[in-house]
Amino acid sequence: MSWFQFATRHRAGIASIVVLVFPHIMPFTALAVNILIYGLYALGFNLVYGYLGLLSFGHAALFGTGAYLCGIAVVHFALPWYLAIAIGVLGGLLMAAMIGVLAIRTRGIYFAMVTMALSQCVYYLFYQAVDWTGGENGLRGINVRAVNILGVKLDFIDPLTRYYVIAAFVIAAFFLLSRILASPFGAVIEAVRENETRAKASGYDVTATRLITFVLSGGFCGLAGALQALHLSIVPIEIMHYDTSGIVVMIALLGGMGTFFGPMIGAAAFLMLENLVAVWTVHWQLIVGAVFMICVLFFPAGIWGTLISRGKR
Amino acid sequence: MKQTRSGSMTRRRLLATVSARAALAVSPFRINLLQAQEANIKIGFPVPLTGPYGTEAQDQVRAAQLAVAQFNDAGGLNGRKAELVVRDDKLNPGEAATRTLELVEKEKVNFVVGSLSAAVQLAINNVTKERGIIFNSISQSDAINEAADFSRFTFHEALNPHLTSGAVGRYAFSKFGKRVAFLTSDYAYGHEMVRGFLEVGKAFNIENLGDIRHPLGTSDFSTLLPRIQALKPDILCISNFGRDQQIVLKQATDFGIKQTTQIIAPLLSHASRVAAGPQAFEGVIGGCSFYWGIEDKFASTKAFNEAFKKMYDGKLPTDYGALGYGGVRTILAAVTNAGSVDTDKVIAAMEALKYDFYKGPQYYRKCDHQSVQSVLVIKSNSKDLRNSSDVFEVIGTDEPNETNLRTCSELGHKA
Repeated sequence: MSWFQFATRHRAGIASIVVLVFPHIMPFTALAVNILIYGLYALGFNLVYGYLGLLSFGHAALFGTGAYLCGIAVVHFALPWYLAIAIGVLGGLLMAAMIGVLAIRTRGIYFAMVTMALSQCVYYLFYQAVDWTGGENGLRGINVRAVNILGVKLDFIDPLTRYYVIAAFVIAAFFLLSRILASPFGAVIEAVRENETRAKASGYDVTATRLITFVLSGGFCGLAGALQALHLSIVPIEIMHYDTSGIVVMIALLGGMGTFFGPMIGAAAFLMLENLVAVWTVHWQLIVGAVFMICVLFFPAGIWGTLISRGKR
Repeated sequence: MKQTRSGSMTRRRLLATVSARAALAVSPFRINLLQAQEANIKIGFPVPLTGPYGTEAQDQVRAAQLAVAQFNDAGGLNGRKAELVVRDDKLNPGEAATRTLELVEKEKVNFVVGSLSAAVQLAINNVTKERGIIFNSISQSDAINEAADFSRFTFHEALNPHLTSGAVGRYAFSKFGKRVAFLTSDYAYGHEMVRGFLEVGKAFNIENLGDIRHPLGTSDFSTLLPRIQALKPDILCISNFGRDQQIVLKQATDFGIKQTTQIIAPLLSHASRVAAGPQAFEGVIGGCSFYWGIEDKFASTKAFNEAFKKMYDGKLPTDYGALGYGGVRTILAAVTNAGSVDTDKVIAAMEALKYDFYKGPQYYRKCDHQSVQSVLVIKSNSKDLRNSSDVFEVIGTDEPNETNLRTCSELGHKA
């Protein structure tokens, strides 16, 4: 068995080890947490974009709904943190189901446009509900000071503890996603991407597969949003903005669409670059833009995608 | 042959990538180690260096650096120097929260001063108050005074919309008539300003002819202006900021609205006025927290202007720049008075502070830590300019007075 086959078989385990040592090689812990969260968000997005082959431009609505519902659960209902996360995931699933039912029949550019339009509707819904979401000022006061895990009280303010608690959820999501992709259903997802007519002829319900995948993606994005709300202790309205939908496309492209680690690598590369360059110069957008262009020109399969194709050779 | 070539390319490329990554990852740590040895008093300063308010933010940094330099030149805290750690919050609350976490957790700053938007300051405030770090906000917001967001670690050096619109309203409603129309940017800043104007308008029995809203970032107001003209207002109150303000004032001038109606704005920004030129702003009345021209009235303003000019090649400070100076200067003064950087002692020293650092007397109100200060009512200058910074004329001053603020119980603070 080559190293490549070994790595593919144990992809979730290897990713978990990387996640564990990650905060020690990052410039600061809050950035490491952001990378995890955006990586998870991109992982969920990649399920639809990379594996199902549909470009959604409305994933900010799923990410944002997870964040807002988790925040609202803590701020307005004083629910414990784990229930708040569960509500965030549920919110992501439900929002994806609603957007999915309306958008899933369209294809290609139309799917991108419809998802974007629907996500803008969601943006204004949350923007207008000032009493619940804080509107323009954002939702504040998602203050979780300590988390109880099986009777052990952990200080959630401590940066490393916060990182590892969030990492635990991200690792669980890794294993779950890996399991989904390795299942027969995972094969159907890719079959639909590769040849829709053939998948249909083989007796698979293409529309249902698409919808279920989109809803699952919403669950992962909702989890990412909920973790983001707990991490930053605020939910800004900007989280619902179409910028947030655009960033995740960039991250997936940079890392490598349709690859398992690609979104994580993409999130790490994108956020690290942005954060480090912004400390040196106010013209950070120029440099980040140039790097992105170079990547698209010379690594069209993304950073991880390129490494994988070299590894297979 | 081809195989080996591509193989070696991969290795080389991989090596280059890995070493670049290593250099990136290692360098911030080294800087951190060097800084830790000196044990400076660190002040985190998150402001939107990039984006639409970049000009104002860079001015804030300059003025804050001046406050730090003055503190260090005076010997610091028994020889312990202060240091400003500037970060770009990109005018995004999420980014601001992340950067504040970096400042607190990695840079181990003693204090945080900064922000240039209501949402951003509330995000920073939520992070700092959870960690018991003093935060002095230097941008406008009404919410930060309210009990839900306030903590004893929260200070607010800037004006708030209630105070600003109150000052401009009291001036304008007593002079130019009772029929008032509003043109408002449709977001928190605009809404809070209109609320403030209507509140103060009650005392003058103003007639509200209507509030026309426009989205943030509107480039053409020509469909809205005739509607306003049809209302025949005595006063047109335009609550927007930055580029929106520049465009609407230019178009209102072209439409001839100024011939029949007095235009007022809650805030006139020095930078916007310079960018748009004198004609668009001619005759427009608005408020501001600071104007360098009050140096004839206050020795502290004169001293601040001179020091700023000396440090930055004859440039004069702007309104928002001055806030950066005030925000940092008050914290460092409190550190000096307390003789320590201990949070509780500095809070007590801040609360006890009666200061006049750049715009006349000020102090922090006990219940909400809002800086009680004067509001200047200004009119744009178009003739006989003394220099390129001579853009406004101060036509009225709301002296510092707690009665102009919302009361502590109104804000939800328990007595």
